Amino acid sequence: MWRNYATVAFRSLAKNRTYAVINIVGLAIGIAACLLILLYVRDQTSFDRFVGEHERVFQLQATNTDTETGSSETIQNTPYAVVHALAKDFDAIESFAYTHNDQPVIRDRTGAPVQETIMEVEPAFFWIFKIPFIHGDPRTALKDPNSVAIDESTARAMFGTDAAVGRTITQLSSEGPSDYRVSAVYADLPRSSHQAFGIVRRLVEGTDIHPDQVNAWGWFSGTSYVKLKPGQSVDPINAQLDAWKERVAPRYEAAGKSVSEAAQSTFKLVPLADVYLSGADGSPSGRRGNATTIAVFAGLAVLILAMACVNFTNLATARASARAREVSLRKVLGADRSQLIGQFLTESLIVTAIATMLALAVVELSLPWLRSWLGADIAFRYLGTDGLLLPTVGLTLLVGVLAGLYPAFYLTRFRPAEVLKANKSSAEPGGSGRLRNTLVVVQFAISIGLIICTVVVYAQLTHVRTMDPGFDREGVLQIDNLERGQVKPLAETLQREIARVPGVRSSALTSIGISTSNTSNLGVTLPGHARELVLGAYSVDHGFAETMGMRLLAGRTLSRDHALDDASLGLPPDNFTSEQQRAAEEALQRRGINVMVNESSARQMGFRSPAEAIGKQISMSMLSRDGHGVPATIVGVLGDTRFRSAHREVEDMILFRNGGWLPYLEVRFDGDPAAVRERVEAVWKRLAPDVPFDAEFADERAAGLYARDEAVGQMFAGFAILAVIVGCLGLFGLAAFTTERRTKEIGIRKVLGARTRDIVRLLVWQFSRPVLLANLIAWPIAWWAMRDWLNGFDARVALGPTPFLLASGGAAAIAVATVATHAIRVARANPVGALRYE
Amino acid sequence: MLSMRNLSRVYRTDTVETSALDQIDLEIASGEFIAIMGPSGCGKSTLLNMIGLLDSPTSGSYRFDGEEVAGLPEAKLAGIRKRSIGFIFQSFNLVDELTVRENVELALLYHGIGAGERARRVDAVMDKVGIAHRARHRPSQLSGGQQQRVAVARAVVAAPKLILADEPTGNLDTVHGEEVMRMLQLLNAEGTTVVMVTHSPAHADYAQRVVNMLDGRILQERRRAA
Repeated sequence: MWRNYATVAFRSLAKNRTYAVINIVGLAIGIAACLLILLYVRDQTSFDRFVGEHERVFQLQATNTDTETGSSETIQNTPYAVVHALAKDFDAIESFAYTHNDQPVIRDRTGAPVQETIMEVEPAFFWIFKIPFIHGDPRTALKDPNSVAIDESTARAMFGTDAAVGRTITQLSSEGPSDYRVSAVYADLPRSSHQAFGIVRRLVEGTDIHPDQVNAWGWFSGTSYVKLKPGQSVDPINAQLDAWKERVAPRYEAAGKSVSEAAQSTFKLVPLADVYLSGADGSPSGRRGNATTIAVFAGLAVLILAMACVNFTNLATARASARAREVSLRKVLGADRSQLIGQFLTESLIVTAIATMLALAVVELSLPWLRSWLGADIAFRYLGTDGLLLPTVGLTLLVGVLAGLYPAFYLTRFRPAEVLKANKSSAEPGGSGRLRNTLVVVQFAISIGLIICTVVVYAQLTHVRTMDPGFDREGVLQIDNLERGQVKPLAETLQREIARVPGVRSSALTSIGISTSNTSNLGVTLPGHARELVLGAYSVDHGFAETMGMRLLAGRTLSRDHALDDASLGLPPDNFTSEQQRAAEEALQRRGINVMVNESSARQMGFRSPAEAIGKQISMSMLSRDGHGVPATIVGVLGDTRFRSAHREVEDMILFRNGGWLPYLEVRFDGDPAAVRERVEAVWKRLAPDVPFDAEFADERAAGLYARDEAVGQMFAGFAILAVIVGCLGLFGLAAFTTERRTKEIGIRKVLGARTRDIVRLLVWQFSRPVLLANLIAWPIAWWAMRDWLNGFDARVALGPTPFLLASGGAAAIAVATVATHAIRVARANPVGALRYE
Repeated sequence: MLSMRNLSRVYRTDTVETSALDQIDLEIASGEFIAIMGPSGCGKSTLLNMIGLLDSPTSGSYRFDGEEVAGLPEAKLAGIRKRSIGFIFQSFNLVDELTVRENVELALLYHGIGAGERARRVDAVMDKVGIAHRARHRPSQLSGGQQQRVAVARAVVAAPKLILADEPTGNLDTVHGEEVMRMLQLLNAEGTTVVMVTHSPAHADYAQRVVNMLDGRILQERRRAA
């Protein structure tokens, strides 16, 4: 009997090629999308599970709440002091380790300086982060503070072999080179790790940890891990942490009140396997998953598959009349309904199985592309615990049954006596046409919605890329590493030498650069105002505004010609006493300084226009002692700029020059960027051979700000294309079968005088109507979703009607084109043939 | 074999009520060959469907093999159909996707008969109706007469007690029509009860009893002298 079902199924598919192709291709697209997303979801949810006993390992996370704005941020960084206090107070904690990433310069295999990340850890680290060692012993690897454990690829890169134990790594710093002995080589971490450490060394309290840091609860400097004793649960600990930190955290006096250092922070232990998707900022490797993104993509894949199932259902019921006779006959021959339902489910399973084969081919072919696009080493195999065989078979069964169930019941509902009577196809039972139209509406609603999202995402990305950032992004080279000990003393020489490079017009040192992550705030008080404003305050060198091409709205920029433009304390670089510092600060307080502000700051201070701010005096809390302001005169107002992502609002800025921490050198140039860069690099290498040249063009750096958003846009575009293909396949199939069924009606219309044009219009309208109706569903949902997404940007495009009209017009055009070719063919046919047919 | 008492069938739509069968009384004994005649729309086919358990009466009694079948659920009816009744249609109703052989075999599929036994019986019956040489062809490759022979083969392969034929010769020319009639006669001679709807008085002459219908009633019954 099953053979008979299979025979009928295959021959019926072979006979109705269009039908077969539409179903198989549609389902294959849907299944392939689902399998690819499944692989992606698996990759994203498998993070850090390679760590031995990871169930017992937890990362300490902190949530800091800004009491003024109420906004809070959860970060993976925690103070050194907290994990130490935690381990002391909770018995369930077996071991703990604070880790901190440093980025020193080391000599590579050829002796050239390269910047490397070295993770400084506490001794229990490799007990907590259990990973396979190739050489050496995890228990003793960190015993000696002058030894390092390195991973396999670092070993190969540095020494050409993984047998690197006993070899030496040389770190370069301003105090000269220092050697570390390689004590162990461990296996490379998989990419599915929230951590990334190529070189690990023991953290030394006193040198790696500042004495002030040991007990400071406000110094979020590194990542902390704890391992619980076997059988212990984390929940009771987490439940106690709020009360615990109030009890334990050090307190200080402010305005006559005792304030906890942890007043604005709460802590939580997060299972290692959940860290990647926890949404907390400050991942040590920079890798951070987004649970919402995963959910959205998974949802979209399921939608595409649902659309393909809808196609199957729609075409099967539209074609029902063709199968009615066979069904009736089988009933007459004694088949009961369950047997027939079984037969049709077999058919849909066969179609789904063929589609699955095709989908697997698509998955295997697109895997390398997906891997590089997601930057993930997505595992793909059929067998094993995370093999694809089981989910594939499951998905095939599920889709086969879901797609085939309604048609099976629908097709077996025919009453044989009516169907078999006069060799006539049975008239369709009422209602099924309405169901088909509803399903088509839903399909196109999905397609249109996705097209709208794609258009909005791309419009927004174009907007942030092309909008005026308030400075001139073209022709600026940003050089990093100016704060390194070896470079700092050379900064002026470097700047002078670089200024002489042909093509270089100007340069300036700065603490705020393009797409940098540091923030620095200072309290500012206006005369006559009690409340302190907290504004972004950054130290920059003379000529910064000119080099960056910022707009001067009023007043002047800082210059060498005015003594008060220099806000530095004039202390020696190192080795000064607190008395010297105090004297210098008092002198600064007496004489005052000049500063520039940006428009947004001026507005915050209450000035109605840039010009009004000029010459006004404010007080800046920039000294080491609390409550002592430095009088600052506003000499210039600059236009607002976006040095960082358009996700963030325009930063308030007060710019002054105090010669402090200035890690970036901005270089404005004319002419060929590559040539200028090369010449600047040559100068760097000559003067600072021990520090790698790390420079990037401003426009390239700015483009990198939106890589994540671009990935979202591409994903939407991909899904939109798939949805449109699947939707159109379905529409084409429906048009083909419905017009076939209406052949006689069309013949009669033609005999009665209808022109080809009238027939085409009739058919096209019949199939365009659901597409137009789909807009009513798609528009509000897409509008809501995109408003939400756009709200994540401070600078955003207006959500106008254009994307909506564009998407609807596009979908309608595609739908009409799909139906029209078929309609024209049918409408041109000789009516006599059509009428003789019955 | 079967008996109908006061059997009526009314079709209702929203506005119209049509009485397709009106108080039919009919007895058919085992081994009979009966022809039902009458003008279009007189209820012949409805009666045949009723006999074949493809339709249920609105009122009245229908006993099949001594069992009351009026009002039985569809699954029970399907069971009786498959055990006892074979159908032949005017339009053959062969499945286009299946070969001749597979079409004939179809009638045995729902009987739970093993593949070997099925093959034996299918071969035998195809031989009997003379289409064995066409076993691998598709219905569309056969002439009308050949198609109807396949349909006859399919109707008899499960050895039903009753064969119902709805204008079996209606789509055939005279020669092929006679051929099919002789086949039915042969089956009847072997003991199968045959009930046939026909427009052709000549073909009705093959039957032992002719039932004439008009407007859903039996007008007259006439027994052919043996």
